[in-house]
Amino acid sequence: MPWRVFFHSEETGVKLTLNGEAYEANEVESVTALLEEMGIGGRPVVVVLNDDVIPASRRSTCGLREGDHVELFRLVGGG
Amino acid sequence: MERQGKGRDEWIVGGHRFSSRLLLGTGKFQDAETMVGAVRASRTQIVTVALRRVGRNPREDDMLGPLGELKGITLMPNTSGARNASEAVRAARLGRELCGSPFVKVEIHPDPHHLMPDPIETFEAAKILAAEGFAVMPYMPADPVLARRLEDVGCASLMPLGSAIGSGCGLATAGMLRLILRDARIPVIVDAGLRSPSEAAAALEMGCDAVLVNSAVAASGDPIAMAAAFAQAVGAGRDAYCAGLMPRGSGAASPTSPLTGFLSVEGS
Repeated sequence: MPWRVFFHSEETGVKLTLNGEAYEANEVESVTALLEEMGIGGRPVVVVLNDDVIPASRRSTCGLREGDHVELFRLVGGG
Repeated sequence: MERQGKGRDEWIVGGHRFSSRLLLGTGKFQDAETMVGAVRASRTQIVTVALRRVGRNPREDDMLGPLGELKGITLMPNTSGARNASEAVRAARLGRELCGSPFVKVEIHPDPHHLMPDPIETFEAAKILAAEGFAVMPYMPADPVLARRLEDVGCASLMPLGSAIGSGCGLATAGMLRLILRDARIPVIVDAGLRSPSEAAAALEMGCDAVLVNSAVAASGDPIAMAAAFAQAVGAGRDAYCAGLMPRGSGAASPTSPLTGFLSVEGS
C-alpha cells in the first residue's frame, strides 16, 4: 500500500550517529543527499563514514545505512 | 650547511617558492571582510586555518568562503585541538582532504593555560606525517635539540615560538632562536607571541626566514592597517639581515663626525 511507504519515509528516518549525536536522516540514498538535507550541500566539508574518508567523487554513489557513524568537518579561522 | 631560501626575495619551504615572509593566521577576526582585507594587506602567501566538526547549526556563515577568491594563497591547516600525536595525524589527513595542500601546521598543546607545545607528541606526529609526504611545519618549543630531531625526521620547516600563543610577549626566546638558527638547514619561522611589527622585523634581522602572526593583527585596533605594517616590517627585517648589521659595540661611543673642532684652527 503506497501510503505505508509514505508513512515510513516521513516518520522513521534512518538512525545515524552524526558527529557523535543521534540523527534521523530521511535522505540516505547518498552522502550528497544527506548533506543537502542538512542544508550544507555544496559547502566545503570533509565526510568521514565509519572512520573512512569519503572523497567528493564518491559522495553521490555512497549510500548510508542504519547505524552508520558519520562525521563532518569544515575549515574555520585559526592561527 | 646553508639553509635554503637565503636569497633576499625568495625562500623555499616544502619544495615550494614563496616571496612573502609573513604567514597569517585567520582566527580571532571580527568578520570575514576584515580577515580577507588583512590577508590582502599583509601580502601573505600562506594562511593558516583550523578544522572543526560541523556544528548544530550547519548553515552558519562560512567565514573562510571568501578566501577562495584570493589568488596565490596556500591554505595551511593546523592540528589545533589535537591533544596527542594520533589526533594530530588524523586532523592533518582530514585537513589535506579539505585544503588540497601538502602543508600542515602540527600543533599539539594539551594545556589550555599556557598552550605550550608538547615536544614528544609533536615529534611523533611530525615523524609519521613527514613519512606520508606532508610538508610538516611543527609549532614547537624554541629548543635546538628538538629542532635538530624534527629536521632529521623530514620536517619542511621549524616553527619555534617567540612566546606563548596570543600573549603578545614578543621574542622572549631570542637566545634559543639564535641557537636554532645557527644550525638549521630548513626554514625557521617564528610562530606565536609576537605583538608588534618591530618584533617581526627583529626576528627577520636575526636570520629567521619568516614569521607567523595572528593575534597581533586580528586583535589590533585596525587589523587591515596592522597587516600592512607587518608586511613592511618583515621586508625591512629581511633586507637588514641580507645587508648585515654593523658590529655591536662595547657601550663606548664611536663618533660619526670628525672630532676636530671646526671653529678653532686645527693644531693651534
